[in-house]
Amino acid sequence: MSDLSHRWEKVPPEYETLGGRAFTSTVVAREVDPTCHPLRTFNKLVVSPGLLAGTSAPSSGRLSVGGKSPLTGGIKEANAGGITATKLGRLGVKGIIIEGMPPAGSKDWYSILVRKGKAEILKTNQYAGVGLYDLIGKIWKDHASKPGIIGCGIAGQRLLKGAGIFGNNIENTDPGRYAGRGGLGAVLGSKRVVAIISDDTGGAPPQPKDKARFEAGSKKLTAALDTQAVTGRLKDDKGKPFGALKNYGTNVLQNILNEAGGLPTRAFKTGRFENAAKISGEAVHELVDKTREKFGEAAEGKYAHTCHVGCVMKCSNAVPYEKTGKMHVSPLEYETAWALGTNLGVGVLEDVAELNRLCNDLGLDTIETGNALGMLMEGGMIGFGDGKGAIKALKEVYDAKSALGRLVGSGALTVGQALGVTRIPVVKGQALPAYDPRPIRGIGVTYATSPMGADHTAGYTIAAEILGIKKKVTDPRALEKSELSRNFQATTAYIDSTGYCLFIAFAILDIDEGFAGMKDTVNAFLGKEIDVTQFGMDVLRKERGFNRAAGLTEKDDRLPEFFRKEPLPPHNVTFDVPPEEIDKVYKGV
Amino acid sequence: MIEIHLYGILRDLVKGSCASEDTVLRVKYTRGETFEQLVARLELARKDLGDCFINGTLAKHSDVLHDGDRIGLFPFNMRLLCGGQYLKGHGFIESDVDIDHY
Repeated sequence: MSDLSHRWEKVPPEYETLGGRAFTSTVVAREVDPTCHPLRTFNKLVVSPGLLAGTSAPSSGRLSVGGKSPLTGGIKEANAGGITATKLGRLGVKGIIIEGMPPAGSKDWYSILVRKGKAEILKTNQYAGVGLYDLIGKIWKDHASKPGIIGCGIAGQRLLKGAGIFGNNIENTDPGRYAGRGGLGAVLGSKRVVAIISDDTGGAPPQPKDKARFEAGSKKLTAALDTQAVTGRLKDDKGKPFGALKNYGTNVLQNILNEAGGLPTRAFKTGRFENAAKISGEAVHELVDKTREKFGEAAEGKYAHTCHVGCVMKCSNAVPYEKTGKMHVSPLEYETAWALGTNLGVGVLEDVAELNRLCNDLGLDTIETGNALGMLMEGGMIGFGDGKGAIKALKEVYDAKSALGRLVGSGALTVGQALGVTRIPVVKGQALPAYDPRPIRGIGVTYATSPMGADHTAGYTIAAEILGIKKKVTDPRALEKSELSRNFQATTAYIDSTGYCLFIAFAILDIDEGFAGMKDTVNAFLGKEIDVTQFGMDVLRKERGFNRAAGLTEKDDRLPEFFRKEPLPPHNVTFDVPPEEIDKVYKGV
Repeated sequence: MIEIHLYGILRDLVKGSCASEDTVLRVKYTRGETFEQLVARLELARKDLGDCFINGTLAKHSDVLHDGDRIGLFPFNMRLLCGGQYLKGHGFIESDVDIDHY
């Protein structure tokens, strides 16, 4: 962006097997000075569709975004659905690397337009400073091809650390497909880029090296996804709800974690929320049905909604206004309903949906911002349970002159420190998501050790821990969690690179044929046999290497003190995994 | 008294229940009753259930209940989101597991 120019590069041979997270992390590790300031000229923002994006493989349209994180000071990859990955895949684009920044004092804002064999940097000042619901509408008006859009909102343009990278949904009705975490929206904003627009006119699906094997693998994986009770079809033969994700979305977890006593409530004070049912996936399902009955064709609420083209799991939803049946926000995910609901003691679904919509409009990560609002409550600025107060505080972010707005957009650590809060739920500066690490210690080890900062998706041990997995079931009371967390982190790094949605794991870990099908598609696509764990460990090694060079040490692989000292009801346990066990995760890596 | 929290399609066991409120069924405590016996008392079968909890801890069918216990009953399609369901060891989701892991 320093001289507003671009060039096309051929994919070097060593990058051929890389896509998604493997691509972004490799580029960042090789090309970005780990000691650079994340919001100045030497950082890079890297975008990469997963390996299989644009192909016919089921649920394979995820997009990765990477760079040095302003929140953690380490490497970051965040990924999302939406339509951009598919478009880039069809254009044959392996990655976009945005480097440099316009000279200091530049006032202009830009967008990057990617088309078949052509890229342009456009001056688009009219796209800056507007809410993202308006922005995506404007861009589709300007570009008739219905392009994929990713970018940063007002928060990212003001370099606030809670800013995520938004993406438009298939219908272009909501900018809610977020690669939310780590403040990457601010990195894009620092380059003075508002949007990356992908128009795949004239593009074609990428071709696998071994077509027959690829298609057979796809079929096996699709069959596994369709039959499993989490990822499967909407209704059974009798018309009763079947697949959990299609019926209730990821927010099916609200009630389950509440029952398990691991649902962090009111800034991690208890493990149960008395109003969990009111903001649960079941409640959204019921509201959608109710508004459909009342408003018929005009009702816009949805479940079994698709987040990207070709997804067969359809865990997305659209929450309607009860009074009008019109769409309020899409999607409302578990993590968001938790961060903006349970975590704040807010049990009013419409308030939670409104907070979510505001985050989407401003370009903020809902997990980080929910925790930031939690710190406002913990610091006594608003009361727990005050949904309207939280909405008012969040709206302050629109006002460039509001110090409170700047604070709320800057993430949990900044808000907590500014208000003298001593219970700040962050690791490496990034706020914790919706599983309390005290009763679920394996996820605590993932939060502590992931190169990404506190991130549940980096090594999702939840069910394995509470329920056990494969033949070596882990005792939830045991403290030896390093191997469990490491294995999950490695497999995750592989899946994040393929373009597959992480949620295929629910089915493939259950159904061996599905696992084989997934591997077959990747290997057939590349014409090469890939070892899942080794591939994942390679990615993790690069990420850890970057973090070490950036100055992060084992001391940064720790949970905040209060998790170690304050027992969480109802189980009344602390996070007591010893530091030596935590450090085993990456020993020798 | 045993307090049973019902979710998903199991809410139908309580007339007039709705998903945005807690659906709680209170049944009489019977000394020595196991979780499996309680499930049978509700005229449910193992295949109807997903991940269930007794006082926040995963329920296994042999667990003996105590007066005042809080039970969370989830239907077959409501589970913690993760794989390896058939090997989880509590025996409620799939029937082919007979080992108790801890």
